[in-house]
Amino acid sequence: MAKIGRLGIGLLLGILAAAVLFPVCFAVTGAITSQWELEEYLAPVLGGGSGMAKWRLLPLAPTLRSLVELLLDSPQFFAMFWNSIKITACVLAGQALFGVPAAWGIARYAFPGRRLVLTLCAVLMLMPFQVLMFPEYLVLDGLKLLDTHWAVILPAVFSTYPVFLMYRFFESIPEAVLEAARIDGAGHVQTFLKMGLPLGMPGIMSSMMLNFLDSWNMIEQPMTFLKTRSLWPLSLFLPEIGLGDAGVGFAAAGMMLIPALLLFFLGQDYLEQGIAAAAVKE
Amino acid sequence: MKRKGLMRITAVFFGLMICFTILSRAAYQEGTALVHTGRPSSMVISHQVKTTGKVEQNQELAVTTEPNLRVASIEVGEGDRVSRGDLLFTLDLTMLEEKILNQKQEMEKQQLNVEDAKSQKDVSRQQKANEQAQASENYSLNTNRAGVALSRAARNLNQAREELKEFRKNSGREEGDDTVEAALEADLEEKTQAYVDAVQELDSLKWQIENAVYQALQAAQGGTASLESRQTVLTGAEDLLLEEAPQPAASFQAETQPQPAASSQPETQPQPAAGSQPETQPQPETSSQPETEKSETGPAETQDSLLEEESPGNLSDAAPEEYDPDILLEEEPILQETGETVWEPEIQEEPWTENPALPETEQTEGETVSGAPPTEEELNRLEQSVRDGYRERLEAAQNAAAAALEEKNRACEALARYQQERLAAESAAEAQTEQGLLDALQAARDAYVDASIAANEAAVTSGRAVAAAGIPQASNSSDRVNEITYEQMELQLEKLETLLENQGRVCAPADGLVTGIYIQTGGMTAETTAVLLADLSKGYRFVGEITREQEKYIGAGDLVTLTANTGRESFEELPVSAVRADEEKEGVYTVTVQLPEDTLELGAAAALDFTKKSEVYPICVPLSALYLDEKNLPYVLVLDEIDTIMGTETRARKVSVTVLEQNESFAALAEGAVGSQEEVIVSSDKSVDDGSRVRLAS
Repeated sequence: MAKIGRLGIGLLLGILAAAVLFPVCFAVTGAITSQWELEEYLAPVLGGGSGMAKWRLLPLAPTLRSLVELLLDSPQFFAMFWNSIKITACVLAGQALFGVPAAWGIARYAFPGRRLVLTLCAVLMLMPFQVLMFPEYLVLDGLKLLDTHWAVILPAVFSTYPVFLMYRFFESIPEAVLEAARIDGAGHVQTFLKMGLPLGMPGIMSSMMLNFLDSWNMIEQPMTFLKTRSLWPLSLFLPEIGLGDAGVGFAAAGMMLIPALLLFFLGQDYLEQGIAAAAVKE
Repeated sequence: MKRKGLMRITAVFFGLMICFTILSRAAYQEGTALVHTGRPSSMVISHQVKTTGKVEQNQELAVTTEPNLRVASIEVGEGDRVSRGDLLFTLDLTMLEEKILNQKQEMEKQQLNVEDAKSQKDVSRQQKANEQAQASENYSLNTNRAGVALSRAARNLNQAREELKEFRKNSGREEGDDTVEAALEADLEEKTQAYVDAVQELDSLKWQIENAVYQALQAAQGGTASLESRQTVLTGAEDLLLEEAPQPAASFQAETQPQPAASSQPETQPQPAAGSQPETQPQPETSSQPETEKSETGPAETQDSLLEEESPGNLSDAAPEEYDPDILLEEEPILQETGETVWEPEIQEEPWTENPALPETEQTEGETVSGAPPTEEELNRLEQSVRDGYRERLEAAQNAAAAALEEKNRACEALARYQQERLAAESAAEAQTEQGLLDALQAARDAYVDASIAANEAAVTSGRAVAAAGIPQASNSSDRVNEITYEQMELQLEKLETLLENQGRVCAPADGLVTGIYIQTGGMTAETTAVLLADLSKGYRFVGEITREQEKYIGAGDLVTLTANTGRESFEELPVSAVRADEEKEGVYTVTVQLPEDTLELGAAAALDFTKKSEVYPICVPLSALYLDEKNLPYVLVLDEIDTIMGTETRARKVSVTVLEQNESFAALAEGAVGSQEEVIVSSDKSVDDGSRVRLAS
């Protein structure tokens, strides 16, 4: 019975996983589908055709032409790729530099207004970009940072979301551990660097991963603050693609997925640890 | 390990991304054209016309000689320069002398031909004169004879009338007592006159028909023969023949127009030409009217006298004009004494003294004849058509004559019956005597009428013969033709003798250059050119060929530069004398430049150079910057910098332009399309289209 139960659960999860994985498969198969097939399938959606769009998971005439065209004949993709890498790396570095200490301070030091700051962080975290867009535009214009990558990086660096995420993990560190370090003569910085960061690493990595995905897929901020096309990140490449380049678009979508996958696999342990630690703590 | 593997994969991924980045950029740049640009400038579009040609002479001299002579030697060759008097070639003297001898013999023969032609012409002229003289002589004789007969008949008639008159006088009867007889006689006279008129009219009509046929045939054969000449020819004949009653003295009176309905006139009767000689003079060209009127008035007067009767009547009015006044027949009642009136014309007996003048027939020779001569069948058809035109009138005239004769006979019978009846009332002896006298009178009257008709016919017939003799002979110019031929032969002989005097040497007539020799040593000369010389005294000219496109930029009067092919000599500012299309080659034009003295030599090759400058155009681009689209409309490509994902890129943008003028290097564009500060793509290492990526060459 247990086996059947487990099998049933596994089947259900498998179906759900397949449903979740379907877009990935859609992109991967689209990358190897020939152009004429894509035009036939997607014309009702992109080409003004009539009827319903359709799809084949296994194309009739698979080809690597789109991949070759993307990798060897589309320097625009790589320009945007490295823009995305630059923006994401800077955002993560900034968050590590400013967000981690902020979260440690809010989590471990009881200062006046601490709860107010935390509340503000939560409120700001909940505000969508459309609300913050105009104030950010004015500030960036005043700082003469518009149409530069700093217009996208700086707001993300000083975002409250990673602070909020890491605050929870720093707060879960037992005070006795920190007290023991203090007794051993560690100062605040040593305590933070030698005790706080290693013990809070799951939270930090979780925040990094989530913020990586957030920065990697950022669309609104680049569209709003970046006019120069050479500064655009990879998230703005697909809107440039039409039905005539649908294969290249699918290939590009697959290529965009790879860094996120790699990072996820690299930080998967930390994620699990973080989730486990939170569960144990609770 | 797991982490290490992932790290390794991540590193490989990023490494691959870097490689593909480099490769894709390399491929991207590979498709970028390297271009050279330039800015439009303000300049003048010049058109250069260059061609080569050679120097020719302005005038050529053709040296010819007599044909069919053998060339003994040729002393010059093509390209030789000769002076005036230099020997060109010599002719064979033996053949020349033979030719001269032949020429002389031919001339002698021709001379004999000339003399023969003249002799023949004289003979034929004499024959013609003789024929004319004979015809006129016959005319005179016939008309005289007829006149004599008519006179005799008139005398007999008068005599019979006198005898009857005398008899009645002696019998105690006065003329005019018998009105019935007078009326019958008047009627008889009238009918007789009518009959004579009808006969005259018939004869006249016959002559008109013959004349019309003659004229029609002459017109058909004579072509453009002048009507005047014909009329002149026929005038005399018409005078003689066309008159209804041509008369020996009156035949030349100018009744030039035939009168088909001519009133019966006494002209039908030949008349002694005494009293009215002036009127009988031939007047071939005068209007017939005065004569006709004269003849009308004359005969009218005569008519009055002729028809005058003892008894009142209108005989004078009724009687037509029929007798020639020359006859001077006075009509007097004869039987006045007997009371009977008898109309009798009083005849003046006058000798037929003079020959009537002959018609002046102008022998017009050499009347032009144009057109093809008609065939005999055509002439016959023409004659028949003319005769058919007169057929009805002829028949009417014949019927009229027959009717008139019948009327006359009826009147005569009526008179005779009456006289018989009257005689029956008389005594037998007197009646018999009177009857005899009446018979004699009637016979005399009939004889007179017959003599009148005969005289008329004789005049007509003889007049026709005179007219026929007056027809001019066909022209004969053989004597003159032979003379002309002789003169031509004389000229040719002169030329041959001149050649012989010069020992058969033919020299150059002027300074020149031998450009062609068309004879061969030992060959025969022809009528065409023997040697062609370029006349050095008339100067030279340069002749070159240009294309239709070049012809637009050069014209007469333009100053050009000529450079000899050797390159050592160059002559500037020489005016173009003419630019003409080549008749043989389509699209090719010939430029001619007159050369001053001492410039280039004859036959030298030279190059012509001419540059025509246009106005200043503000927007000019090199011709390599100009392209043509699919509609053959010109455009240029200018540079545009656009912002792309790869950064600021230079792209080509198409701009349609209007070309105002262009030469081989530059094109002038209309203002407005391209600015003077815009960079225009002049050249590229790859094909560039609208929107193509380009890269400026350093």
